[in-house]
Amino acid sequence: MKADAVRGHLDGLLLAVLEEGPLHGYAIITAVQRRSGGALDLRTGTIYPALNRLERQGLLASDWESTGERRRRSYRLTDSGRAGLAERRADWRAFTSAIGAVLDPAPGSAT
Amino acid sequence: MSGDDGAGDAVVAYRDRFARLLRGPARARARLVEEVADGFADTVRAWRAAGFDEAGAARRAEAEFGTPEEVAASCQRELTLAQVRHTAGVVASTAPLPLACWYLLGQAETARDGWLPQSAQALAAGLAGVAGVAALGALLALAVTGRASRWLSVPRRLPDAVGWLGTAASGAMAGSALALTVAAALATHWPLVALAGVASAACHAGVAPSARACRRQPRVADPA
Repeated sequence: MKADAVRGHLDGLLLAVLEEGPLHGYAIITAVQRRSGGALDLRTGTIYPALNRLERQGLLASDWESTGERRRRSYRLTDSGRAGLAERRADWRAFTSAIGAVLDPAPGSAT
Repeated sequence: MSGDDGAGDAVVAYRDRFARLLRGPARARARLVEEVADGFADTVRAWRAAGFDEAGAARRAEAEFGTPEEVAASCQRELTLAQVRHTAGVVASTAPLPLACWYLLGQAETARDGWLPQSAQALAAGLAGVAGVAALGALLALAVTGRASRWLSVPRRLPDAVGWLGTAASGAMAGSALALTVAAALATHWPLVALAGVASAACHAGVAPSARACRRQPRVADPA
């Protein structure tokens, strides 16, 4: 799936993989790839500005975490982020339901 | 980053190329550079673990992660907005200070029946107006680029607008510092007036470089 198709859904994808708990940038990338079965063709470096934007908008919060000698920024959902994720899920379900009804109508309903 | 950790010089080269392409406040820029370099290093390590040599792993990592130019292009918007917010924050927090100084000095002089000269009062009113407008504009910019940006689109020329607002505030502070220095010679509370002049000069010194940096930022691009 090309990057253009993913655009517009990236925020929802990032919020969704953080639902289960805090992750650092690379772990977020691998979680998105794992969940999508590698089908999303993302320039993975571009998720960092998206994470910064979501933090600026109050949907994510972040802290530096040290693991050994490495220091990594770990992101977590805020309450607004959880609400934002629920909203995006509802929008996505409504969207796929509407498009699916047109592209793949139930037998007898295609009039 | 040493070559022992499976990432090596390729990461240092990537980080340096990336850092050179970014413009923005030092702290926000350093944070992004560190995060992106760390993510690239992880990507190189993953390809190394898959059996590629360092050069091969670095090539594949760059293809997957994005070139420094691609990643910097998507990061610059956030850095531009960080600069806007930094400048707006400095203006919003310092612009009211000269206003407060003039007000308190006026009160102190009135109490002693030695009110500042008419010309100083007129100047104070003008500078207060500029500072007040700048502070309100800065607060508005902070609101538009914060949580509200979920629903509002950020104007493309906001960096210019905030940069010029900061320049106006900085000019008002410089004028205020000069006027207070002159007024100190005439005022009853001259040490207090001189102190207020120094405070205005300090505010000017804080705002001017940030406003200049903001004016030099590119226009705000659409989010990636």
